Amino acid sequence: MYTLKVLTISSMKMFVRNKQAIFFTLFTPLIIMGIFGLIGFDRIPKTRIGLALDAPPTSGTSQFVEEIKKISVFEVSVNAEWQERKALENDERSVVFIIPHDLLPQAGILPQAKTVKALLNTGEQQQAQTAVSVINQVLNQTMLRLTGTPQLLNLQVEELNVRNLKYIDFLVPGIVALAVMQMSVFSVGFIFTDYKEKGILKRLLATPMEPIHFVTANVITRLLVSVVQTAFLIAVGVLIFKAHVIGSYWLLLLITIIGAVMFLGLGFTISGIASTVESVPAIANLIVFPMLFLGGTFFPLETMPNWLQTFARYLPLTYFSESLRMVMTKGAEIGDIRTNLIWMIGWAVALVFLANLTFSFEGKRQG
Amino acid sequence: MEKIIEVKNLTKKYGDFTAVDNISFDVLEGETFGILGPNGAGKTTTLEMLEGLKGITAGQAFVAGLDVAAQAKKVKAVIGTQLQSSSFFDGLNLKELLETFAALYNRKIDALQILESVQLLEKSKSRVKELSGGQKQRLSIAAALVNDPKILFLDEPTTGLDPQARRNLWELVENIKRQGKTIVLTTHYMEEAEVLCDRIAIMDRAKIVAMDTTKNLLQMAGNDANIDFRTGFGIRHEVFAGLPGLIKLEGSESEWQIVSNDPQATLASLFNWSRENNVNIFDLRLRQATMEDVFLKLTGHDLRE
Repeated sequence: MYTLKVLTISSMKMFVRNKQAIFFTLFTPLIIMGIFGLIGFDRIPKTRIGLALDAPPTSGTSQFVEEIKKISVFEVSVNAEWQERKALENDERSVVFIIPHDLLPQAGILPQAKTVKALLNTGEQQQAQTAVSVINQVLNQTMLRLTGTPQLLNLQVEELNVRNLKYIDFLVPGIVALAVMQMSVFSVGFIFTDYKEKGILKRLLATPMEPIHFVTANVITRLLVSVVQTAFLIAVGVLIFKAHVIGSYWLLLLITIIGAVMFLGLGFTISGIASTVESVPAIANLIVFPMLFLGGTFFPLETMPNWLQTFARYLPLTYFSESLRMVMTKGAEIGDIRTNLIWMIGWAVALVFLANLTFSFEGKRQG
Repeated sequence: MEKIIEVKNLTKKYGDFTAVDNISFDVLEGETFGILGPNGAGKTTTLEMLEGLKGITAGQAFVAGLDVAAQAKKVKAVIGTQLQSSSFFDGLNLKELLETFAALYNRKIDALQILESVQLLEKSKSRVKELSGGQKQRLSIAAALVNDPKILFLDEPTTGLDPQARRNLWELVENIKRQGKTIVLTTHYMEEAEVLCDRIAIMDRAKIVAMDTTKNLLQMAGNDANIDFRTGFGIRHEVFAGLPGLIKLEGSESEWQIVSNDPQATLASLFNWSRENNVNIFDLRLRQATMEDVFLKLTGHDLRE
């Protein structure tokens, strides 16, 4: 026990003193969170609509134009028809409405049947159609007002999405999983390959120490680091980016530990395969890089083509980030994420087993 | 004195290649035993088998009464090991490093005292990468001493060091020797073996070709010494023919080479003659037999081939 205690303390000192490791462990994920958090993928781009008038509008028509300009999801520009048509051709408008200047007559004069023509940008069908139905609605209401018909049916809108989940809520658990993966894979991959290459592991073998003690000390260090990472990144997410944590922190801790064990296994496997430190990033990135984009870190799996989803579904990082996300954003309990946890434990067992096969203190050249 | 290491018919094979071929030797308690030989002779492999780092193909080795093959862990606990090229963790300072190493033996130590004994006290807060080559080797010896071992194994402790650092390390080894520890070292420096070792096994091509005390091995090459010199002007052959201890006389006029079996007497007479006849002697060179000659005589090839 004394040996294990001293080895663990020493390995923690070494981790903390390694500036590069600290940078990649805490600051790189923070920077990624900052960048993606500021981009904010949840801000829907405004629908650009153009209004074309054939002549100076009547006061009623002017009022109608002003009403449309008030709609916040629209970016409205008013120009002559030829200018708006050109803008549409240049893909600068989602839809252009051609409005007769006397669409609405002066007060007191009875309105006549008029036609508003809509020119749709086929590349932005969805936004254009939405704009058309909104404008139609505005036209109907204006007409009802003009003809003095009482409004019998009302739609009352109340905002009820209390959690107000945003992209940052999706992002934070993804970044946590990503950070723990990177730390586990690279800090073990690099450092143990270096120890092996420099003969440090062989020197340790010349003492009566059990190799498992040395490995355990290093694993304990990295499990602690992964917990610090998770706490730090969630804290920044909550305090600075106003992310939400609804579920249990204890459950997040459990998920983090299982996730770290999974990727530590991968790290040891890589340092078992790699013969030089130089070959570590090549081998590690081959495995880690695809997961970075497919593991549900930045974008939901649903945005991928189906065949890719089927593959991405089973990646260790996907289970990891999804479990964290379900607990953080939906308040999932252990029973709700049971399947994900079982898969994570399965991956952990498989990767630790693989590490056992490939990694040894003696290296391949020794007899 | 008691035998502290017993090696019987020790053999190591890698496939068809035999790295160590059926060697046997004993090391006595308190002595410094050297294994001398060129690179690739099997010195390191022999040492690593005794240290429990390499499997034994055939034969037996007992270290401190323990069968290495069966009780490697117990052997490791009572020996100190310096590997040929061992690095240490860069993230710890020397004091922390030695304390960590001591913990591997389940021991608490006064790291500063050990650092002082290898003259690294002022470096206790430094990292390994800040040390010079000689300091690294001294640290490596310090790490081998954390468990207060009975036997110290040093694998080419001075390879790659400059002459000053080498002498410095020899002093350190002598100090450790004075504490009564048994030392087994490998080297391909003849001078090192002559200075440090009580007994030497000469290894060549996986076999031990000779083993004896350093003094006896040196005698194998004979006591003969070569004396070369020049005189200020031409001298007749007969003048030197009567020098005491003379075995062979070569040269003429002012260039002379003598082989003598009693260099002290030969030189004394030569100097007397020089003073009495007012003949100056220039470029006098005396070369006595070294382990180098012993090695050449035993193996038929040079040590540095």
